[in-house]
Amino acid sequence: MYLFRLAMASLANRRFTALLTAFAIALSVCLLLAVERVRTEAKASFASTISGTDLIVGARSGSVNLLLYSVFRIGNATNNIRWDSFEHFASNPKVKWAIPMSLGDSHRGYRVMGTTEAYFEHYQYGRQQHLELADGRAFATDPFEVVLGAEVAEALHYKLGDQLVLAHGVAAISLVKHDDKPFTVVGILKRTGTPVDRTLHISLGGMEAIHIDWHNGVPARGNGRISADQARNMDLTPQAITAFMLGLNSKISTFALQREINEFRGEPMLAILPGVALQELWSLMSTAEKALFVVSLFVVLTGLIGMLTAILTSLNERRREMAILRSVGARPWHIASLLVLEAFALALTGVIAGLALLYICIAAAQGYVQANYGLYLPLAWPSEYEWTLLGGILAAALLMGSVPAWRAYRQSLADGLSIRL
Amino acid sequence: MPRAVLALLLLVALPVWAAAPKDLTWSEMIPPDAAPEVPNMTPLHDMSKMSDALSAESAPAAKQDMPNAPVVQSLDGQNIRLPGYIVPLEVNEEGRTTDFLLVPYFGACIHVPPPPSNQIVHVKSELGVKLDELYQPYWVEGPLQVKASSSELADAGYQMAADKIYVYELPE
Repeated sequence: MYLFRLAMASLANRRFTALLTAFAIALSVCLLLAVERVRTEAKASFASTISGTDLIVGARSGSVNLLLYSVFRIGNATNNIRWDSFEHFASNPKVKWAIPMSLGDSHRGYRVMGTTEAYFEHYQYGRQQHLELADGRAFATDPFEVVLGAEVAEALHYKLGDQLVLAHGVAAISLVKHDDKPFTVVGILKRTGTPVDRTLHISLGGMEAIHIDWHNGVPARGNGRISADQARNMDLTPQAITAFMLGLNSKISTFALQREINEFRGEPMLAILPGVALQELWSLMSTAEKALFVVSLFVVLTGLIGMLTAILTSLNERRREMAILRSVGARPWHIASLLVLEAFALALTGVIAGLALLYICIAAAQGYVQANYGLYLPLAWPSEYEWTLLGGILAAALLMGSVPAWRAYRQSLADGLSIRL
Repeated sequence: MPRAVLALLLLVALPVWAAAPKDLTWSEMIPPDAAPEVPNMTPLHDMSKMSDALSAESAPAAKQDMPNAPVVQSLDGQNIRLPGYIVPLEVNEEGRTTDFLLVPYFGACIHVPPPPSNQIVHVKSELGVKLDELYQPYWVEGPLQVKASSSELADAGYQMAADKIYVYELPE
């Protein structure tokens, strides 16, 4: 114990260098843990976004692409599919339920999705949980009704009965708006921790209505305009949708129906199993994950080598300190353990400060990350794996501390009291 | 007395013996009396049948041949061990697959139809399995349930509540 006190006192004597060294280690530990945390949380949130859906169908592209735009609202669809193709498969005897989705518009950066009541009834997330309304009701027959995700309502301070205008395209700041046909908020969903929170849900009729007077890619002008009231009286059956989700009666028929959709003669379509596409996405990301992990490991190593350099350079100027210690009866191994303890103390301070820094960063960035990336970072205790990493860092520090310890041991053996500086 | 001991031993041994799962192969899951599929290999001599052959060629390729393939009823309730590839259906928050289809070969081989329904097992597992790669085969152990196919809506085929799932390694 007195050795530890002595090591501490020696460090306190060089507190500025010691603090800098500990801070370098803290930064690297924080980076390593942050990378680890974001990685595991991203996986968990992706995995809990969709549940109970057997097939996702869209225009022919790639399975990861289809999964990303239909479920995670990342990226855009390559093409639409026809409404009658949806009806064809929705009425297939193997199909239990079908949810059509129509994407492509937005409101202040939040995506708008056209769908039907089936979405509120059948869409599941997490452990087969259904969507629930926190307030109000699902949209009904009027096309200009909107149900907000929890995040949208909170961030933009909307409540029931408010009117809002949707924008054409998915840019956060949109220049072309559907301002002639405002929507009324009729419902707000409970928070799910999935992209649903950041989505505005309208009926397919509503989606059709806001585009009904568009011709050749521009909104109608002058006489060509169709007002909201006129649109209400028109046939708003959609011509096309972006994608649809299917739930099947029997999981065993998944492959059969997938094949049937992929071979559909009406138009080229792609059916994917969400679990398989998710797995493919993870194996795609795993290379980047590993690279990030290796980079942060090297940053930790750099921090530790910085510590090693600091201790080694201080050795020479502390030869007199060692000699005095020897003269009052310290044995060479006392000197050696003093240096190991010093390294350990520095690393431990670094690790604790790094953890503190991580939690401060998470607490500060939590809201922002959730709003912008849909990623919920909990202020949870380090996981088993993270403890292992921290233990590994401490062990590495002990190992590194033994290098100056060995040198000091040799020096104190040779020098005795007769050092010539 | 020795006879009583023997009987007792049998009583004790039977459940132990029953607990060890029986290794099953995929071909045992097709009833032996099921008619084998013989491809039509006869050469085409009659040119008037040419259009039939061509339209058969251009028809939608390879659907699942037998969505309601016959199953082996006697396997119902048996504790078995079966190797196969995992097609994940449901993944929980910890990234473990809790609901999946077990199939005899990996991947979307688009040249031939998907496996018939008697070559797919729908497996549920409480604990789940952490999948790293889709092309890793696994052993799955548990009691097999066989549901006869009666109509297209029925849950036909094999189901299992897995007790154990572990990586399949090539036998030495």
